[in-house]
Amino acid sequence: MESPMHLRRPRPTSVALATLALPAALALTACGGSEETATDAGGGATVTIETARGPVEVPQDPERVLTFDIGVLDTIDTLGGEVAGVPEFALPDYLSAYDDAPIIGSLFEPDFEAVAEIDPDLIIVTGRSLEAMPDLEELAPTIDLSVDESDYLGSVERNVRSLAAVLGEEDAAEQALADLEAEVEETRAAGAEAGTGLIVMTSAGEVSAYGAGSRFGLVHDALGVEPAVDIDSATHGEPVSFEFVAEADPDWLFVVDRDVAIGETSGESAEQVLDNALVARTTAWSQDQVVQLDPLAWYIVSGGLTATRTMVSDVADGIAS
Amino acid sequence: MVAALALVSLFVGVSDVSPAALLRGEPGAWELVAVSRGPRTTALVLAGVSLSIAGLIMQVLVRNRFVDPSTAGTVDSATLGLVVVMLFAPGLPLIAKAGVASLFALASTAVFLLLLSRMPLRSPVMVPLVGLMFGGVVGAAASFVAYRHDLVQSLLAWTTADFSGILRGRYELLWVAGGLAVVAWVVADRFTIAGLGAEVATGLGVDHRRVLMTGLVVVALVSAVVVTTAGVIPFLGLVVPNVVRLFLGDHVRRSIPWVALVGAGFVLVCDVLGRTLRHPYEIPLGVVVGVVGSVVFLVLLLKGSSRVG
Repeated sequence: MESPMHLRRPRPTSVALATLALPAALALTACGGSEETATDAGGGATVTIETARGPVEVPQDPERVLTFDIGVLDTIDTLGGEVAGVPEFALPDYLSAYDDAPIIGSLFEPDFEAVAEIDPDLIIVTGRSLEAMPDLEELAPTIDLSVDESDYLGSVERNVRSLAAVLGEEDAAEQALADLEAEVEETRAAGAEAGTGLIVMTSAGEVSAYGAGSRFGLVHDALGVEPAVDIDSATHGEPVSFEFVAEADPDWLFVVDRDVAIGETSGESAEQVLDNALVARTTAWSQDQVVQLDPLAWYIVSGGLTATRTMVSDVADGIAS
Repeated sequence: MVAALALVSLFVGVSDVSPAALLRGEPGAWELVAVSRGPRTTALVLAGVSLSIAGLIMQVLVRNRFVDPSTAGTVDSATLGLVVVMLFAPGLPLIAKAGVASLFALASTAVFLLLLSRMPLRSPVMVPLVGLMFGGVVGAAASFVAYRHDLVQSLLAWTTADFSGILRGRYELLWVAGGLAVVAWVVADRFTIAGLGAEVATGLGVDHRRVLMTGLVVVALVSAVVVTTAGVIPFLGLVVPNVVRLFLGDHVRRSIPWVALVGAGFVLVCDVLGRTLRHPYEIPLGVVVGVVGSVVFLVLLLKGSSRVG
C-alpha cells in the first residue's frame, strides 16, 4: 500500500544538524595552521586545514576555486591566488580583475548551474552563503571559513593560514600576518588613549549601534577603543534613536554607511543622516571626531586580508588626525 | 486619554527629560522636545489618525469591514512605487517620491475596485481575500524587482514602520496626510451615502462617482505619504475602525472623531511599548502594531464571523 509518506522528499535534516554542530566546531577551532598529508584516493595531493568546523582535508593547489565571500576572494587574491568565478556584486577597485569573471550566484545564493559548469575543485562558503553548503558539497569539496565575530582577528588569521596552505603561499601569508599584527599593536596603543567610541551604521536613514563582539567590534575588541556604552553583541546591531547616540556621548563616532557598501547612494549619506541637533550634542561631533569607516571593507569584504588591513588603518588614521 | 498618552510619549525616551526640567526652562530639555520628542509624537499622531480614517473610508466605500490599505494592495503598490523610484530616479526629493508612490497606490486601489465589481462576491470574506491576494501579487512584484537589484534590505526599511529616525525636518510630509484626514471628515456624510451603493446614492442626489474618486484619492495619498516617511503600519486602518464600530455602529460622521482618537492612541501606545520593552534600543513600530493588530484582527474575525458569514 502506498502511504503518502513515501511520496515526500527526505527532509533536509543535514542542514539542521550542521547548524547544531557549528558552535561546537567553533569552540574546537584553535589557531590556524595545517599539516600536509600524502595523497588522496584520486591521486592529487591534499592538505589538512583549519576551518570554522574544525580540521578538513582538501585538495592542495586546486585548479578551480569558487567562493561566495568577497573577503575570501580578497585573501586569495592578496596571497597571489585566483578564483574561477565570483558572486554578483560591485567589487572593490583592487579586485577589478574579477569584474568580468563568471557569475556564480549572489553573496547568499549559489547559481548551481553556473557552479556545476565551472566544475570547481574547491568551494568556500561563509556566514552569508552557509545555508547552501550541503547542496554545494554534492558538487565539489566545500569548506566553511565563516568568521567568528567575537574573535575577528583570530578568524582572519586562521583563514589566511588555511588558504595559504591550500595555495602553497605560506611565506607570503606569514609575512602579511606579521605586518597586520604590528599594525594592530600600534593602533591598539593609540586606541586605548583615544577615549570612548561608539560604532553606528546608517541604512536608509535609520541608525543601528554595534558593540564589542559584534561584526564591527574590532574597534573595541582588538583596537582598544573603550566602548561609550555596553551594547549586547548582535551581528545586525541594535536599532537606536538619535537620542541614544546623544546620550551615549562618545568621544569618537565610527560610522559605516551601509547604503554606500551596497551601492545604493541615492538616499541620504551617513553624514546627512547624522547631521542633526541631537548628534551635534556629542563630543565626537563637536570635536570633529567622526571617523567614516570604509563601507566596503567593513560591511562586505570584512574577513579578507587586505580589507582587514584597511579596517585597522581606518581606525588608526581616524584617531590619529 | 489620548492627550495623556501624547504626554507620556513626549517624556519616554533614551534621554532624561522631565516635565520639571522643562518648567525650569533647561535649554537642553526644550531642545530635545523640539527636535526629537515633539516631532516623533506629532508624527505618530498624524500617522495614526490619517491611516485609521483612510481605513474607515475604504471600508465604507467597499462596503466591507475587513479591508484597509494594508490588506487591499494599496500599501504594497505604494511600496512598489518607491522601489521603481529607487531604480529610475533615486535622486528625487521626498515629496516627489511620495507623489510617485501615491500614483501607484491610486492605480492599485482603482484596480482593486474594478476587480471587485467584476467578481461574483458570494461572501463578504471574499473581499479581503481578493485584496490580500492582489496585495500579495503586487508585493511579490516589488520583492522581485528589489531582489534583482539588491534593494531587498532597503525594501525592508519601508515595509516595517520605524519612527526611531523621526526628527524635526523628517516628518513634515505627514501633515499632508493629516490634512487629508480633515478633508475626509468634512465630506464624511457623502461617504456614508456613497456607501449605500450607486443607485441609492444617485437617488439621494449624491454624485457617486465623484465621492468614490475623492475617497480613493484620500486613501491612496494617505497610504503613500505614511509609507514614504515612516513605513508600513499593518492592520491599523482595519483594527481601529472596527473597534469603534463595535461601540458606535456604522455612522461615519459620528465615528470619524473616535476613529481618529483611537487611531492616535493605539499608535502612541505601541510606539511607547517599542521604546520601553528593550530600552535603550528600539523595536520598530511596524512590528509592535503588527503583533498587537493581528491579534485584535483575529478576535474581530472570530467575533464577527457569526454575523458576517
